[in-house]
Amino acid sequence: MKLDPTRSSPPAQAVSGGNLRELQDAGRAIMRNVETVIDGKHEAVQIALTVLLAEGHLLIEDVPGVGKTMLAKALARSVDCTVGRIQFTPDLLPSDVTGVSVFNQAERRFEFKPGPVFANIVIGDEINRASPKTQSALLESMEERQVTVDGTTYPLALPFTVIATQNPIEMEGTYALPEAQRDRFMARISMGYPDSDSELAMLDSRDTNSPLALISAVVSEETLRDMMLTARAVFASGAVKEYAVNLVRATRDDRDLRLGASPRATLQLIRAAKAQAALNGRDYVLPDDIDSLAVAVLGHRLVPTSRALGHHHQDSGPVIADIVRRILADTPVPVGVAASDQFPSESFESAPSPSVPSVHAVSTRPVGSTGAS
Amino acid sequence: MTKLATKLTPNSDFLSAVRPVRPPQTPRGRRGGRTVASWPLALSLLLLLLVSCSALGPLLRGTAWWWVCAAVGCAVLLGAAVFRRLGLPRLIVPVANSAVLVGTMTLLFGGGTGLFWLIPTPQTVSIFTGLIDAGGASIVQQSTPAEVTLGILFLLAGGTGLIAILMDLLAVTLRWPAIGAAGALVPLLVPGFILDEGADTAALVAAAVAFLLLLRVDVSGRRARAATHRAMGPRVPQIDRSERPRGRGPMGGAVLVGSLTIVGALLLSTVAPAFTAGGLVTARPGGLLFGSGVSPMINLGQDLRRPKAGAAFHYTSTGTEQPYFTLLTLDEIIGLTWTARVDGADVRNTVDAIQKPFGLDADVETVEASTSIVIDGVNSHWLPAPARASSIEGLTGRWYWDSRTRAIASVSANALGQEYTVSSLELKPTAEQLRQASSDYPASVVGNLQLPVEPPSIIEETAREVTAATTSNYDAAVAIQNYLRSSAFSYDTEAPVEDGYDGGGVGVIGMFLQEKRGYCVHFASTMAAMARTLGIPSRVSLGYLPGVKSQDREQGLGQYNVDSHDLHAWPELYFVGIGWVKFEPTPGRGTVPNYERAAVADTPNAAPGGAGATGAPALSPDRLEDDTALERGAATQTVESSNLLGILGLSTLGLLVILLPAAARRMLRGSRVRRIRSGRAGAGLAWTELQHTSLDHGIPVPVTETPRAFAGRLKSLRAVDPTAMEALERVLLAFERSRFDRSQASSDTLADDLTLALRGMHSGASLGIRFRAIFAPTSLFATLAAVLRGERRARTIAP
Repeated sequence: MKLDPTRSSPPAQAVSGGNLRELQDAGRAIMRNVETVIDGKHEAVQIALTVLLAEGHLLIEDVPGVGKTMLAKALARSVDCTVGRIQFTPDLLPSDVTGVSVFNQAERRFEFKPGPVFANIVIGDEINRASPKTQSALLESMEERQVTVDGTTYPLALPFTVIATQNPIEMEGTYALPEAQRDRFMARISMGYPDSDSELAMLDSRDTNSPLALISAVVSEETLRDMMLTARAVFASGAVKEYAVNLVRATRDDRDLRLGASPRATLQLIRAAKAQAALNGRDYVLPDDIDSLAVAVLGHRLVPTSRALGHHHQDSGPVIADIVRRILADTPVPVGVAASDQFPSESFESAPSPSVPSVHAVSTRPVGSTGAS
Repeated sequence: MTKLATKLTPNSDFLSAVRPVRPPQTPRGRRGGRTVASWPLALSLLLLLLVSCSALGPLLRGTAWWWVCAAVGCAVLLGAAVFRRLGLPRLIVPVANSAVLVGTMTLLFGGGTGLFWLIPTPQTVSIFTGLIDAGGASIVQQSTPAEVTLGILFLLAGGTGLIAILMDLLAVTLRWPAIGAAGALVPLLVPGFILDEGADTAALVAAAVAFLLLLRVDVSGRRARAATHRAMGPRVPQIDRSERPRGRGPMGGAVLVGSLTIVGALLLSTVAPAFTAGGLVTARPGGLLFGSGVSPMINLGQDLRRPKAGAAFHYTSTGTEQPYFTLLTLDEIIGLTWTARVDGADVRNTVDAIQKPFGLDADVETVEASTSIVIDGVNSHWLPAPARASSIEGLTGRWYWDSRTRAIASVSANALGQEYTVSSLELKPTAEQLRQASSDYPASVVGNLQLPVEPPSIIEETAREVTAATTSNYDAAVAIQNYLRSSAFSYDTEAPVEDGYDGGGVGVIGMFLQEKRGYCVHFASTMAAMARTLGIPSRVSLGYLPGVKSQDREQGLGQYNVDSHDLHAWPELYFVGIGWVKFEPTPGRGTVPNYERAAVADTPNAAPGGAGATGAPALSPDRLEDDTALERGAATQTVESSNLLGILGLSTLGLLVILLPAAARRMLRGSRVRRIRSGRAGAGLAWTELQHTSLDHGIPVPVTETPRAFAGRLKSLRAVDPTAMEALERVLLAFERSRFDRSQASSDTLADDLTLALRGMHSGASLGIRFRAIFAPTSLFATLAAVLRGERRARTIAP
C-alpha cells in the first residue's frame, strides 16, 4: 500500500476496531518512550505524535535549552526509520540540505548524492539560523515532497516528516521564517519550561549520561505507515468540518489579526484532528479534537495586529494563543441533525445497514479542550 | 496490522463535503439570544411603569388595582423580553406583545368567555365594550378617591398594557429609551390634572429614580453590546482590556441631561399647583363635597352612586327625633338651576353668635336639642348641622353662618376631623298651625317664589292637578308629597344619568315628571318647584339623613352613624309664623314629617309606625333603621360568602397555574423518554432532554461549547454519583456517535442511561435549584419557541 501525499481526498475507508486499537497501543508506546527523556511535557509530546501520524511537519519553537531537539530526536528514534539531521547555520547552502550532483570520474557522469532531507524523519535544528535561501530549499521539499536538482526530480521518502526547531525571533543571529513558509508546518508547539518537580527529576536522571542513548525504536516503519493510513481513514462529520471552517473563517475576520489562517490550515486542522481522534481510540472526529489542536495548528499562521500585540513586541505567541482561545470560545459548535432524529422511520429502512463497529472504550481522560474552557 | 476496510462511504470527500458556511455572525445580527433579550432594560422599564402607576394612588381607593396593573405590565414587558430571547423578529415583537395584552385582558376580564380563556370571542368583545362604557361612566360619576369598579379596573389594566407596549416599542425595538419612558408620564400626569396637589412627590421621585436607572441600564447595555466580541477575563491581553471605554463617555451626557430634566420637572411640579389653582386647569374639586358650588346636586348624585359608602360622621343627640343634617340650602333658581343665593360665608356672622330663627311664633312648640357630632369623612367647607342651630361649640377654625339659609360654612377651615356640639331647635308645629298660616310672606322670603321665565308647563299642570282638592297651602304640600311618594314614581339613582336629565334644574324637572324615575335631588327640587308654582315659598336643602343607630352608646345616648349614602336632598316650604318646614317627597328615603300627630302626642317616638294623617307610605325611623340594618347585614354576608368562594376559586386557579409548568415539563420528559425507549428517537432527543434539564437547573447551555465540554462541566458542577456519571458518559457517547460518527449506532440502554443521568443531576442539586427546576422549568420556553417556529418538537440547542 502506497501513500500518495498529493492526493487531495483521503481514501474513503472505514476503520476497523482492531486497527484503531493497534494504533492506540503503538501511540502509547511511542509516548512512553519519548517521555522517558522529556519530563512533564505530555501535551507537547502528544501534539508532536499527532502531527507525525497526520503526515504533517512540526515546528518546535522555544528558548534554547528546554528540550526542543531532545523531543525531535526522541520522537525520531522511537520509530525504526531513517532519520536525517540538519544543523542549520548561517553559512549552510541549499545543496547541503537537498544533496548535490558530484562528477563521477569513473563513470564520467554526474552522480546525485542525496542530502539529509532524504530520510523518513528529518530533524531541522535551529531552522531560523539559516539564510532564507537555504530555508526555502527545505520548505519547498516539505510541501512538494520531492527535490529537484539539476533538472532531475527525486521523490522523498515516505513517510516524510520534518521536525524543525527554532528559537524565538528575538534571539540573535536568526532569520525569521516568512509567513508563507511557516504555513507549511502543520503545527507549532512550545515546550515551555518544565515545572520544578520535573526539573528536579531531570537533574537526578540526566546528570551524567545522555538519556537519548537509552531510547530505542518501539515502532517499525511499516507500523507507522499503517498508523498513518488508519488515522487518515478516521471519519470527520459534516458538522466537524463546518466547525473547522467556521473557526478558520473567524480568524480571517477577527479584528485583532492582520492575517488569518489559510485554507491549508483548515485542511491540516482536520487532518490533525483525525490523527488525534485515532490516538484517542475513536474512528470519528469530535469538535473537542479541533478545540484542543486549534492553538497549535492555527497559531503560527496568524499575524496579530500591532495594536493587539501591544507591548508584547518580542513574543507574539501568548497573544495569539489568547486570540485563538477567544475565537474558540465565541464560535458556535455545529452539532448537526442526525438523520435518525429527523426522519425516524425512514432512516432505519433506507440506511444501507452500515457495519456498526462496537463501541470502543474512550480514554478515561476527556480530550483536553484548552481553548473552550 | 490488519487491513483497512475498504467500504466506500458517501460524503467523505474532504473539501467538497464542507457545508455552506453561513456569514460570520455579529452580535447585532444574531436573532434571539441573551444579548438581544436585554433583560435589565426590560426590568428597568417595568420598574418605571410600576412606579408611575403607583402615582395614581391618590385617585383611587385600595391597592388591589395596582397589582392588576402590575400583572398586565409584567406580562407585556417580560413577554416582550422573552419573545426577543426566543428570536422573534424585532418588528413582530410589538404585535406579539399586543396579542399578549389581549390574552391577559381576556384571561383577567373575559369571565371565561375566551377560547381557552385567552383568545377573545365575540362574547368577550361585547363584555369588553360593556366594561369600557361602565368604566367611563364610573369615572364620570365618582369623585376622588374613586372606588375601583370592574370597569375602571379594566380601563386601568388596558391603559397600563398599552403604555407598556408603547414603552417597549420605543425603548427596546427602536432603541430610544429616553423617549420610551415618556409613556410612564401618563399615569404620573393624570393626578396633576385631577387633584389640586398633583401626584405624590414620593411617587414622582421614585419615578425619576427609575427613569435614571433605565438610562443607566441602557448605557451599560450599549457598552456591553459594543464589547460583546471583545475578549474578557484575566487572560486577555492588556491591550484588549484597556480598549473598553472608560469614564462617562458620550452616553454619560444623556444621563446628565436626563437627571437635569428630572430635577427641573420635580421643581416645576411643586410649583405647578399654583397655576392650576388659578384656574388654568379647572380641576374637579377632589374630595370636596359641593366645594365649587357649580352643581352640588350633581355632586350629590355622584356620591350616592358610589358603590361603597364612606363613613361621613357619627353623632349622639338629646333630641326627640333624629335630625336631618343640613349642609347647604339652595334657595334660588338662576337660569334653570337651583343655586345657593349667597354662595359663601358672610364674614360678619361668626358661629359664636347665631341669631334666633326668624319669624317663629311663640305658640309653636319647640324642643331644644343638643347634638354632638364627630366628623369622620366629610371633606367640605360646609358643616353638617341640624336645622335651626342656635349655637355651635368645639369647632376649630373660623366658621360663619348664613343669615338667610342658616347654613354653617367656612372659607378657610374644613369640616374634616371636627368634633362639635350643636344646640338646635326642633320645630314641632301642629297640622292645624300649618293650615292656618297666612300667605302674607315677609319680603325676605318673596325671593323664594321665583320661577324661571318659562318653566316647563308640566310642573304647574301637575301641581294644579294634584292639589285640586286642597284648600290650604299645607294640604297642598302634603298632597304633592303624597303624589311624589306614590307608586307611580320610583327611586333610581342611575336612570337620570343614563337618560341625561341629572341634576335638579327646572328643565330636568319636566323630564322627571314624565319619566317618573329619579332620586332625592329630583323629588326635592320637583316638590319645591311645584310649591312655587302654587305660590308657596320653597327651597331645597342638601345634607344627610339621620343615619343608622350603632351598637355603641355614649353617655347614655344612642350613637348614630352617617355615611355618604345618607346624603340627601329635601324640600323646605315656608309657613308664616313657623318658618321653614321640611317635607319628604322621596319614596323610600328618610322619614315623612308627621305634623298631624304632633298635636296629640308629645313624643313622636311613642308612635312607631304611625302612618300619619297624610296616609302616605311613610316609614318610621325605627323600621327604616331595621330595614337598612337587615339589608346591610345580608349584603355583608353575601359579600363574605362570595368572597370566600372567590378566594377559594382563585387559590385553586393560582395553584393550578403554578403547577401547570411543572406538569407540562414532566409530561414532556416522560414522552421523550418513552420515544427514546421505543426507538422512535435517538441520542439527539436524549441530549436535548439533558440540555433542557440543565436549563431548568439554571446551568447555561452555550452553543459555543462542545458536547463533551458541556458534559464535563455538568460533572464538575454537580457532585454526581459514579453510576450517574457513567450514565452521563454513555449518553454523551451515544450523542457524539449519532452526530459525529458515520454510523447510526443505537444504544439499547439509552433511555435508562438518560433517566439515571437526569436523576443524578437532580439529586446533586441544592434544594432551591431543585425546586426551581420542578416548578419553573426554563426549558419550556425553548420548547415553546420551537412550537412557535412551527416545529413539532424542540431541537438540540445548537447554532
